[in-house]
Amino acid sequence: MKVNTTRFGELQVNKEDIISFQEGLLGFENLNKFFVVDPGDSTLILWLQSIDDGKIAFPIIEPKIYKPDYVAKLVPGDMKSVELESLSQAKIYSILTIPSDITTMSANLKAPIVINNEKKVAKQIVLQDSKLNVKHEMYKELKSYIVAFASDDSKRTNIENPVNTVDASDTANTSQSHGYTQAADRPKEA
Amino acid sequence: MLVLTRKLGESIAIDDNIKIVVVQIKGKQVRLGIKAPQETKIHREEVYQAIQDQNTEASQSTPADIARLSDALTKK
Repeated sequence: MKVNTTRFGELQVNKEDIISFQEGLLGFENLNKFFVVDPGDSTLILWLQSIDDGKIAFPIIEPKIYKPDYVAKLVPGDMKSVELESLSQAKIYSILTIPSDITTMSANLKAPIVINNEKKVAKQIVLQDSKLNVKHEMYKELKSYIVAFASDDSKRTNIENPVNTVDASDTANTSQSHGYTQAADRPKEA
Repeated sequence: MLVLTRKLGESIAIDDNIKIVVVQIKGKQVRLGIKAPQETKIHREEVYQAIQDQNTEASQSTPADIARLSDALTKK
């Protein structure tokens, strides 16, 4: 299907890449269908793009990139809510906030996006751990990670392994191989 | 909404396995004790508000923000 987005133009999304958020996200309860867009830049940041509303997309990143010891401790009810039998079926992302002073960028560690890769159901799960922050500043950690592996593109594949995203870079049709959908053009603002 | 009046030390039972006790009353503050199965999620309401605010702020980001970030991140 084709989806018109404000950020990436018109994207072609495979049915099997559509992720269903039965409860939406907090504050966006009416938006239930999303897909992941990979803009293909060096930041390792992906976008969780709404299908229902082309204007809505959330920048997301895997928390282990900037916080290797992060564990999303899911209780049985959480696992059930996204039909998970084991955490290995899941892909975990944090939503990012990028203010005008980018060095104060932050990630929501308290309420990660948990995606069941096989069933394509997902939820923003609020973790019980009271030490986790909704706005965890992580610019420094992300920078040191990116600088460390900037010269080694091969590592990138390992990090983004199993989730299906839409690749917004101009190399088309690799979506089959790694399961990411792709956009025809790079973001116009870039 | 069901409204119940409770005194210090009294409690409310929800289902068979959740119990909320008034532990302390001090001026405008009430301390509650909650006994619930481990898998029950208990949060202060403000947590949800903070997450909602973060989501709203995040949804307004643009690829231009990421481009700006990308420049800064790749600078040695």
